[in-house]
Amino acid sequence: MAEATLLNLVLWLPLCGAGLLLLVARRNDDLARTLTTAVMVAQFAAAAWLYQRFDTTTAALQFSTAVPWIPQWGVSYLVGLDGFNILLVLLTAFLGPLVVLGARTSIDRDVTFFHALLLVLQTAMVGAFVAQDLFLFYLFWEAMLIPMFLMIGIWGGTRRVYATLKFFLYTAVGSILMLAAVIYLVSALQATSGVTSFAFADLYRTQLPLTVQMILLGAFALSFAIKVPMVPLHTWLPDAHVEAPTAGSVVLAGVLLKMGTYGFMKLGFPLFPDAARAFTPVLMTLASVSIVYGACLALVQTDIKKIIAYSSISHLGYVMLGLLSLELTGIQGAMIQMVSHGLVAAGLFLLVGMIYERCHTRELAAFGGLARQVPVYAVFFMIFTLASVGLPATSGFTGEFLVLLGAFRSAWPAHLAGNDLPLWLSVAAVSGVVLGALYMLRFALTFLFGEPKAPHQPLRDLSGRERFILGVLTVAVFALGLFPAGALRATEQAAVTYQQLVGTPRAPGVTP
Amino acid sequence: MPDQTALTAMLPEHSLLAGIVVLICLEVLGRGSRPALWVSLLSIAAASVSAFWLASMQVTAEPFAGQFSVTPAILVAKGALLALAIPVVLMARSEFREGEFSLLLLSSLYGLCLLPSSMSYLVMFIGLELLAMPVYALVLLAYHRPESAEASFKYLVLSGAASATFLMGVSLLYGATGSMDVSTFAQALGSGDALTRTATVLVLLALFLKSAIVPFHAWAPDTYEGASIPVTAYMATLTKGAVLLAAVRLFGTVTVTGPLVGLLMALPLASIVFGNLAAIRQSSFRRMIAYSSIAHAGYLFYAFLGDPAARMRAVLFYVIAYSAANLLAFAVVPQNDRDEQRDALDNFRGLFHRDPAAALLIGIAMLSLAGLPPFPGFVGKFMIFRSVMAAGHVTYAVLGLVGSYLGMYFYLRVIARMFMGAGEAVATEQRAGALARTAGWICLAATMLLAALPGWVIGRL
Repeated sequence: MAEATLLNLVLWLPLCGAGLLLLVARRNDDLARTLTTAVMVAQFAAAAWLYQRFDTTTAALQFSTAVPWIPQWGVSYLVGLDGFNILLVLLTAFLGPLVVLGARTSIDRDVTFFHALLLVLQTAMVGAFVAQDLFLFYLFWEAMLIPMFLMIGIWGGTRRVYATLKFFLYTAVGSILMLAAVIYLVSALQATSGVTSFAFADLYRTQLPLTVQMILLGAFALSFAIKVPMVPLHTWLPDAHVEAPTAGSVVLAGVLLKMGTYGFMKLGFPLFPDAARAFTPVLMTLASVSIVYGACLALVQTDIKKIIAYSSISHLGYVMLGLLSLELTGIQGAMIQMVSHGLVAAGLFLLVGMIYERCHTRELAAFGGLARQVPVYAVFFMIFTLASVGLPATSGFTGEFLVLLGAFRSAWPAHLAGNDLPLWLSVAAVSGVVLGALYMLRFALTFLFGEPKAPHQPLRDLSGRERFILGVLTVAVFALGLFPAGALRATEQAAVTYQQLVGTPRAPGVTP
Repeated sequence: MPDQTALTAMLPEHSLLAGIVVLICLEVLGRGSRPALWVSLLSIAAASVSAFWLASMQVTAEPFAGQFSVTPAILVAKGALLALAIPVVLMARSEFREGEFSLLLLSSLYGLCLLPSSMSYLVMFIGLELLAMPVYALVLLAYHRPESAEASFKYLVLSGAASATFLMGVSLLYGATGSMDVSTFAQALGSGDALTRTATVLVLLALFLKSAIVPFHAWAPDTYEGASIPVTAYMATLTKGAVLLAAVRLFGTVTVTGPLVGLLMALPLASIVFGNLAAIRQSSFRRMIAYSSIAHAGYLFYAFLGDPAARMRAVLFYVIAYSAANLLAFAVVPQNDRDEQRDALDNFRGLFHRDPAAALLIGIAMLSLAGLPPFPGFVGKFMIFRSVMAAGHVTYAVLGLVGSYLGMYFYLRVIARMFMGAGEAVATEQRAGALARTAGWICLAATMLLAALPGWVIGRL
């Protein structure tokens, strides 16, 4: 009971903090920053406590609250933690205080409003992860867009209005079709079994013909694939990242991008398993294309924020690949990769933001020899670059390794049976690792080494606050890389559940 | 002879009537302006409260047999619409200090109360006319602008045409059935013969005209633009809602089938698409809202395809959510001595930096109108499209949803202007008056309630 209250606190504390901020700190920037930090730290503490108490031996929903909300439609306020979302909630709560600290010097106008939006966004993101009711999920899923829209649009760069409208309209087009699918799915559940409910657990039992499943999954997948983003639906991402303020980029890459893959994992594939298996070749191809194409695009960028943005597309392709492998290692690898990418991308975007604050440019050509001028910065930059490339002992390695292992494990039996496609896709995915090393090392090489460029001298090295933020992130990256067992244990039951849900045919008349 | 029930069951109407009488007396005595606000507020509040009170007492009555009836559901509808009139009165205060505004508004509200209760075409016709006629004058009250005469004239002609169409349809129905009872319309809907078919189509077209469904929408943008802001707000929300409730009354418990489905689908869908697309091109806030209200009328008529038992509830929830959002937006629009300056969308630029509260409220209103969660416009949209889909019209529901996506852009653009632009204030701009702001906060409270506890509200509709 107490834990259930704590979970609700994790969810609603930031929103209450936002209200408080608008009431008491309207003209007081420092108060706004301090209050926000305090709220975020409290949220993380509560989330960490829940993680500590999380029972890893069961797949059941834990710390859950269920209150009828719109009883006429069977909608309830149903939230809880399971192996699917525990790590992501922890990641969101962990990044929260770091984002606030990171924004301390870069946001200097409408400070209170910015922090209020950050807090609202935090609630919406946690809400989308912990919701176990489709209506509630959709609510949080859409509500997330609004603060992000404002954050990019108000504090962003010169083309911010264009970027923010593009971001919103791209993601909203997916959401509208998903809404249609949600309504259809719930009506179908009511028509076939007489149950009026939006709870995931009930919806998992809906039996639908394969063609209907394919259409509905198509609608869900469009929405999720835009968020991931999968090639060819990725074009909003570089614009949004380039124009967003650092805090916005960090949240976008750290948490928001996980929404898409989480959606596939928790909703898309388990709700329509037969369609998911039917679509696997297509989706796997798209995932591999995302890995390679994202890496290739990252290789030719001149804007350092864009390099990381495109590398995100590549890294999230691995997550999709792992989920589609249907192998336990692959699924768990995908979960680890989600968290790992959250940490590493957050670190890289923070680093880019820090250098941008000093030099006011993001052109790769304008930099050089930073290692000599700002050694501490260079060390952190190298750590996160290597983690991004997947250096053993970092979190990136654990994630990518498990995903690729899972992909090959699922490809091999198919290969023996004469179907070479999965194998080729897995091979292509491995080439993404090589490309990844190529673009990140090229980036680091021109950025950190070589001749120092004139206009930026002398540069101030990292302040204590910045060292603290990056230090904490570094610890997390290594912790996940060196001791992944805890995280793997937390996700194991969920991965097994996922395997069962997606692996078993549900439509009448479908043979696996 | 109507007895005691006529006194209690018509308490909301009586409260309005009492207000009208007092206002007339005040006018005659020549002290109209100052107390008029309080008299009208008091009378509307009393009407609204009494309607809710009667509904909570589960009153079902027919004080005038065959003409006028109330049920708890109808009383709730009346109470809700009357409650929404309170912000209108508050926001009108800064523009109309004379008593006429209150007098005309109360008369129009009386007509509004008749509509959902009417049992015969006669009462419904009187209700429709009583609703519209004061509005002709209300539009004209912004007489210091040349557009207002044109706007009023357009509304007069088009609304008159709608009334004539309605009468024509009703007289055909009377000819076919020999009855003035509104339930004959529901029967006629299923009928196959040419006379009743023509009659139903005529009545339907009259309703489309009144609620500005494409292709009968042309009056709306001009009229809305020509009227003053409070009157536009009133027309865009309450009169539209009242016409829709009259339509609910006419359709009764019929599940629409047959060729009429095509009409009920095609024209509202065209309204959604056209209204949303045309709104994108507008540079005046009032015109934008006018086109958006054309689209919203489309969503509302979608509800008629769905489950008849839940129709009243769906329409009412949508009307409340949509009206609260619209009124919220209008209430806090900055004042300007030159009325036409008030709604130039360019003047919204950078509003966030000049008046953060107003920008925030207008922003919330836009998001609710766009149908984005967690705002109540979303729940309303969900409710309607769910019932349409449950009735088996899947394709139309999807098309309607896609149509609603088209609308997001211009709502977002208003937000982008207010928050992301760095505009300077026009010299004549002032903050909205204190009473109007109060109206805004009331609407915000209503919106928040609808957002947080939609289940609770739906359970009481």
